[in-house]
Amino acid sequence: MNSALAVSRRAVAWLPVALLAFTGCGGRGGCTNEYCGTVVFAASGEPTSLLPAVSTMAVERDVFDQIFMKLAEIGPDGGTFGDSSFTPELAHRWEWTDPLTLTFHLDPRARWQDGPSVTAADVAFTFDAYRDTLVGSQDRTALDHIASVAATDSETVVFKFRDRYPEMFYDATYHMRILPAHLLRNVPRATWQTAPFGRAPVGAGPYRLASWTPGQSIELAADSTYFLGRPHLRRLIWRIAGNLNNAVTMVLSGEADAVEVLVTPVNIAKAKADTALTLYSYAGSTYNFVRFNMRANGDRSKPHPVFADPQLRRALVLGADRPQMVEAVFSGHAKIPPGPMPQLWSWLWKSKLTPASFDTLEAARLLRGRHPSFHLAVPSSSPTRVQYAQLLQEQYRRLGVAVVIDQVDNATLQQLLESGKFDATLESIQTDPTPSSSVAALWGRTGPTNWGRYANDRFDALVRTASAALTRDAAQTAWESAFDALAQDPPCIILYALDNIAAVNRRVADVRIQPDSWWGLVRTWRIPPNQLIERDRAGR
Amino acid sequence: MRAWLLRRIAAGLAIVFVTVSMAFFAIHLAPGRPFLPPDERPLNPEVVARLRHSFGLDQPLGVQYVRYFGALARGEMGESFSKRRPVAQLIAGAVPNTLLLTSAALVIDFTLGILIGLFQAARARRRSDVALANVTLFFYSLPTFWLALVLQLVCGLWLGWFPTAGTTDPALHASLSLLGRLGDRLHHLALPALTLGLVGAGGTARFQRAALLEALGHDYVRTARAKGLAEPAVLVRHAWRDALLPVISLAGVALPFLLTGAVLIETVFSWPGLGKLATDAISARDYPLVLGTTLLATCAVVLGSLIADLLTAAADPRVRLTA
Repeated sequence: MNSALAVSRRAVAWLPVALLAFTGCGGRGGCTNEYCGTVVFAASGEPTSLLPAVSTMAVERDVFDQIFMKLAEIGPDGGTFGDSSFTPELAHRWEWTDPLTLTFHLDPRARWQDGPSVTAADVAFTFDAYRDTLVGSQDRTALDHIASVAATDSETVVFKFRDRYPEMFYDATYHMRILPAHLLRNVPRATWQTAPFGRAPVGAGPYRLASWTPGQSIELAADSTYFLGRPHLRRLIWRIAGNLNNAVTMVLSGEADAVEVLVTPVNIAKAKADTALTLYSYAGSTYNFVRFNMRANGDRSKPHPVFADPQLRRALVLGADRPQMVEAVFSGHAKIPPGPMPQLWSWLWKSKLTPASFDTLEAARLLRGRHPSFHLAVPSSSPTRVQYAQLLQEQYRRLGVAVVIDQVDNATLQQLLESGKFDATLESIQTDPTPSSSVAALWGRTGPTNWGRYANDRFDALVRTASAALTRDAAQTAWESAFDALAQDPPCIILYALDNIAAVNRRVADVRIQPDSWWGLVRTWRIPPNQLIERDRAGR
Repeated sequence: MRAWLLRRIAAGLAIVFVTVSMAFFAIHLAPGRPFLPPDERPLNPEVVARLRHSFGLDQPLGVQYVRYFGALARGEMGESFSKRRPVAQLIAGAVPNTLLLTSAALVIDFTLGILIGLFQAARARRRSDVALANVTLFFYSLPTFWLALVLQLVCGLWLGWFPTAGTTDPALHASLSLLGRLGDRLHHLALPALTLGLVGAGGTARFQRAALLEALGHDYVRTARAKGLAEPAVLVRHAWRDALLPVISLAGVALPFLLTGAVLIETVFSWPGLGKLATDAISARDYPLVLGTTLLATCAVVLGSLIADLLTAAADPRVRLTA
């Protein structure tokens, strides 16, 4: 009896220690001022490399946009024409010496995180690296119009263009994050894809890499001497959730502070009901569509038995009740684009273009009693796209069109697209802030991702005109004509463009989200001292 | 014994070679290709071609096969396509997480399962036995991912008792004391380990109960009782030792699970272990990583069954290990 009592007493004595261990009270830092905030982002994926020149993922861009800087950044209005919308970053001013020569003057205060100044030679080195085929940068071809980049002194760099077009400044600044030549010059270009620098990057931005635990988290620490002003948030942490549902759960449970996009109505409703969260709506950069293959499934030498006929394709566009599908799947949290465009290109949405309306009578007339059938490949990883495929199948069934849905994984879908072994696919595409690059790439006759081999010379000519238009008004008119030509001979059914809705914890103030780089403006966010919680006060 | 061991090791190596070879051809011939367009941003075909070249995928399959096993013979498992890190480094990073999770789960599984089984056998066909039989059957029949989601929702989201994801709190962990860090880790381990442990314990308890009841019917148990031994001593010292043999076999089968992990649980709780690494690798058609995890899993199975045989021989004097 006595020994039992002693055991239970010893157990009670250990309780506070156990409690201490479980509540996690340890060596707590005491940061309590305006610059203490820690924001934890829930990320669906994990970066493979933080070296911008070899990057291909949005989550990589989210992280390295805090570490590296561009010469100038797109302003809040999202304008890509001329240079008036851009705000200075590494370059504090610039001028056009002649219509084909752009000179940047670097901010003399800009420093690499390991000490040396950012110089014009770094900019020239960066351009050379992005253009090098050995590096294999995704942005290499976007710099085709730039003939050369040369440093004239340590703070002045000159860009020479091959031709004149409205988005010269955009091309000079948007695609490249300036890299430190002194750290990368001796790294063989062919090994950049796996270079250790990608896991221990050194930039000139407001944050530096503090730690990266593979599969778990990435932590950045603010640079208090950052030349454009000390960031208010002391630490940024990306927690790798692995998928969207886990990311949303982390934010709802308070383990993370922000998730960039909620996607489904269920997630949006849950986040709305959570009083700790504020929702921010911003223009999305994706749109979703059914792509038709113009060539026979698996044999590109022959026309497709169904989709070679433009009237039949038009019938399928008219036979899809898109408003009903947007309502059924997204409860209205998506829009039907008037052409192949995301919500990000808001200036094009204001045009006189309208989506083709649902018209089963006209669709039936165009079908002329035919009952075609085709396979629709859809990624099994996307429940919303699977749902869309099922709704389309039912709507077409009523028109006498048989659709067989093939649910495949992403790797298989990509292979089907590249080999031309498909009838139709339900895809989603993420675009640049401007239509001039992605529209031609996707739907132009020689576009590298025109997997359906769509060919429309009139459309191609109109795209060239639109891309060369010198004012936004002229470009808008030209793009309207191009998209109208596309609507007459549709290569796809444009289904929806998501309303991007981010959820951020209420304790975070001054939240601004950049549509093309969600967390690009995080350095301006802050957490007021009266809103600090344990993770803000904790120090390394 | 030595001849038996050598024979088993040789057979094990052959099994590993054949399995990895089959995995090599299966993953290369499966539909789909590596270097997927991340997010919805299509990768430039020029970039894909560059990547294929730099990882040697533009070579004939036979050449790739010979190169892979050549590298493996030198102790190199290659570079992951999707993570751009050495496969050995990725596996080394994931193994401790998986071992921690599965060991904790196995401790819960066998401790709880054996204790419940003992209790049930001692009270066979009474009301408490029937009630526990229903409870263990309930947990045994639960899909682990479903229980994981329920525990995550109730204990993580609604009650806020436990974290819903990860192995530690990245915002706090580094600032905690040693004890605090241990607490943080255990706090994060609780839900995934409980999920796996509870489902496993349901099966183990039923196994243990059946084995004990069978053992209790043997003559030596009747003799022990006739000698006047107390019932707990009969149960634990005599019957249980005999009834432990099937559970040891069960533990042997469970050993590979220590390394192959719990794929679904790791996915639900964002636990960066081997199971999650393997599924991510398969979706990304990350050939070297798929083969690396296959190699490890096969070695674990071979080693697990070897250890189970050795343990059985140690526990049962009737078993002789001969070639």
